[in-house]
Amino acid sequence: MPDRAAFIETLPSAVEGDVQTGSSILDLHADDESPFRAHRPDAVFTPTSTEDAARAVRHCAEHRIPVTPFGVGSGQEGGAIPLNGGLSIDTSSLNRVLEVSTEDMTCLVEAGVTRLQLEAELRGKGLFFPVDPGADASIGGMISTGASGTLTPLYGSMKDNVLELEVVTAGGEIVRTGSAARKSSSGYNLTQLFVAAEGTLGLVTKVRLKLHPLPEARVAVRARFETVFDAVTAVTQLTASGVPLARAEFMDRVLMRGVSLMQKVPDEGCHLLCLEIHSDETTAPDRAELAKELCREAGGVAIRASWRTEEISEIWSVRHRAAEAERHLKPGADVIVTDVCVPISKLSTIIADATTELDRLGLTAPLSMHLADGNFHYALLVAPGDAHEAQDAQTFKTWLAQKAVDVGGTISGEHGIGIGKRALMDMAHGPALPLMRVIKQALDPDNIFNPGKVLPE
Amino acid sequence: MPAPATLPRNETGIAAALGILAQRFGERFSRGEDIRRQHGHTMTWLANQPPDAVVFAETTEEVAETVRICADHGVPVIPFGTGTSLEGHLNAPAGGVSIDLARMDQVLRVNAEDLDVVVQPGVTRRQLNEYLRDTGLFFAVDPGADASLGGMAATRASGTNAVRYGTMRDNVVAVEAVLADGTVIRTGGRARKSSAGYDLTRLLVGSEGTLGIITELTLRLHGIPEAISGARCSFPSVEAAAEAVIMTIQIGLPVARIELLDAMAVGAINAYSKLDLPETPLLLLEFHGSEAGVAEQAETFREIAVDAGGTGFAASADAEERGRIWRARHDAYWALRALEPGSDALSTDVCVPISRLAEMISATAEKAREMGITAPILGHAGDGNFHAIFLLDPADPGAAARAERLIGWMSETAIAMEGTVTGEHGIGQGKAAYLDRELGPATDVMRAIKRALDPQDILNPGKIVP
Repeated sequence: MPDRAAFIETLPSAVEGDVQTGSSILDLHADDESPFRAHRPDAVFTPTSTEDAARAVRHCAEHRIPVTPFGVGSGQEGGAIPLNGGLSIDTSSLNRVLEVSTEDMTCLVEAGVTRLQLEAELRGKGLFFPVDPGADASIGGMISTGASGTLTPLYGSMKDNVLELEVVTAGGEIVRTGSAARKSSSGYNLTQLFVAAEGTLGLVTKVRLKLHPLPEARVAVRARFETVFDAVTAVTQLTASGVPLARAEFMDRVLMRGVSLMQKVPDEGCHLLCLEIHSDETTAPDRAELAKELCREAGGVAIRASWRTEEISEIWSVRHRAAEAERHLKPGADVIVTDVCVPISKLSTIIADATTELDRLGLTAPLSMHLADGNFHYALLVAPGDAHEAQDAQTFKTWLAQKAVDVGGTISGEHGIGIGKRALMDMAHGPALPLMRVIKQALDPDNIFNPGKVLPE
Repeated sequence: MPAPATLPRNETGIAAALGILAQRFGERFSRGEDIRRQHGHTMTWLANQPPDAVVFAETTEEVAETVRICADHGVPVIPFGTGTSLEGHLNAPAGGVSIDLARMDQVLRVNAEDLDVVVQPGVTRRQLNEYLRDTGLFFAVDPGADASLGGMAATRASGTNAVRYGTMRDNVVAVEAVLADGTVIRTGGRARKSSAGYDLTRLLVGSEGTLGIITELTLRLHGIPEAISGARCSFPSVEAAAEAVIMTIQIGLPVARIELLDAMAVGAINAYSKLDLPETPLLLLEFHGSEAGVAEQAETFREIAVDAGGTGFAASADAEERGRIWRARHDAYWALRALEPGSDALSTDVCVPISRLAEMISATAEKAREMGITAPILGHAGDGNFHAIFLLDPADPGAAARAERLIGWMSETAIAMEGTVTGEHGIGQGKAAYLDRELGPATDVMRAIKRALDPQDILNPGKIVP
């Protein structure tokens, strides 16, 4: 057994950054946004540089102490919870934007830089970083969970927007996985291997990201639909027409009931689809017309479209308040979020089956979808302390994951595996799961990096 | 011709495995001299190292069975698609068995609504696009050669329209692969994104057959654009052309192709394809979009080009005229060879951040001149990726060594500019020496992965991390 007391005692002399063991700081690093039980690390370390982080990892490796990276704690699947204690490496002081190249449209940032910090840094440069998971997450955390968000249809997820990483390996070596070139055929793709690895293969310390030019114009469209099928049709038709569809967010009628409760207006009993198209100014009006027409043909009603800034935010205002609306459906409830992703053609049947299953279990679960990606989230509303309902929520999550795999989808679209979905990995990956284990074993033979995550025991 | 290093041969194992395979595959097993040579590297200056035998597989199970037989006897296995790779990927430095996948050539399922298709690895790029013609969809990655899709995935190929549609990295959704012990795995489903564990798809894409043999692919498709138009513009210098490219990308003009030819390359295609383009650096573009959209894109580009000093801008929505120019670009390899008839041609590629592209190209041209190597340049300028085609006199005993020095110099220079030693051809045998210099400690991680997945080193040995 590793001697944790000796480890903590000797760590400060091995590193430069702060090593903290106060109970409030341990509590802050014991938990994230997931429903899993908190677990304290033995110590929290805030490295001052990559080299400093590498020193800490080497120290952990020598003492066989687990290392769990911590960004801002906004993960949904428990990735940052130090299940076996050990060292939580908090990247918040690795917070420098090191380079922004407007010519190459790339930036190099430290892992602790947050999304909004980067956004502020890019203001006035005509460029933006498009991956927006909602939370003001750290870039390192977004890499580790393979995050995406509402703009994925046009700009892709973290996987598509990372050019290279700097990573500390289990041996404490500092490794650069690629180059600043926009593409490469140079050896194995280590960059994308570390994306979504949730800190189980190495500690991400720097990230080079692709940036994109700000769109000249935006078109927002909103329409109500009777069925999921009709909304899917509208989106697939729009995609097929070659329109650069940037967002396609869907809120089901349950969620819309929450909206009507929140806004104290009558419930229309319909699903809502909000779209955003990125284009140049001259074609914006045509694209708004086309989008309206395709929504109408697919059965959409109460259609609104605009390319004027103030009306765009008005059209999208409901979507921005979705989380708040959820809570009006069952005040005080705990929220358990699902995250599966399926081929778009399978969306309407899987949602229909899920609705039946939710009714059978008697669960209230508003649905929001990144429709164009086929990625959707139920917010399962569970009464605090109701063990029976919590069990039903778990049953539903497992049922949904199985169903998603059956139709060619995945058990996680953007939140990662973390703790709760490990049990589903064998079902999802079959013979490919041992291959993941072999990779883990090869890169982290002593299992010091984030033990208890991604791979089942 | 430089001969790549040979590796120790397992003669007993090879003899045993060949005996079993001969019985198992009958007429679909060959030891013929010509067939073996065809299944080694034939494309560039690297010497041919033929396998000991070729198996023509027809199913995933047959690939798995072959791999199991070879694994039992510690015999190398090298997958073969169409033989168009450029860095010696197909050579058998330790002998062994080439598995020819060309007969696995079925398009299995088009999912039009989901914009994806499932194919066998021997389907070629053109074959797939022929097949898709009536669906309104197309597969975008276009490396020029009519390569097999399995081979394109294995080398992480890209090409002229990667600037708009991405490379194989971006267009392979999932693969089925046979691992070193004969296990068959599937790396994912058809979802458009996934955060479910390690990204095995992207690990296998670009692994050049050293981690597994790809036996099925799910690929991303795109809608055929309503309108396609082309444009060309000449520039006084590579720097001016590169400036126009940077501006074009920076304002978000969604060009589908943006190709750079240096003055020597323009001279070559003029002569070969009977064109009369000014013999200065040239940009060739293609726009995809609506009728109005492509016209507007061309006009926007014209303004950018003129600002950067471009002259002789010509846009064309006319398919025939566009076809003529792009055919010339596609035939460029032959045109360049014709600059020095009888020469051996060698195509090498590097990729740098686009801000360094002009500097890199000019320095390469200068260095080639200094070393007495004729080396016209063709670039996928929007990606910062370019090819120098060395024309070497086979009678000149010092030519190969000079070429190798120039490749080394280009690799080092690209690394110094924060670029990569290969943008799209892969490492194979030819670039293995430079991988370490580019990625240093990361190659230890690659070696650890290789050892873990293929402990006997039977999957395409001597490539990437020999």
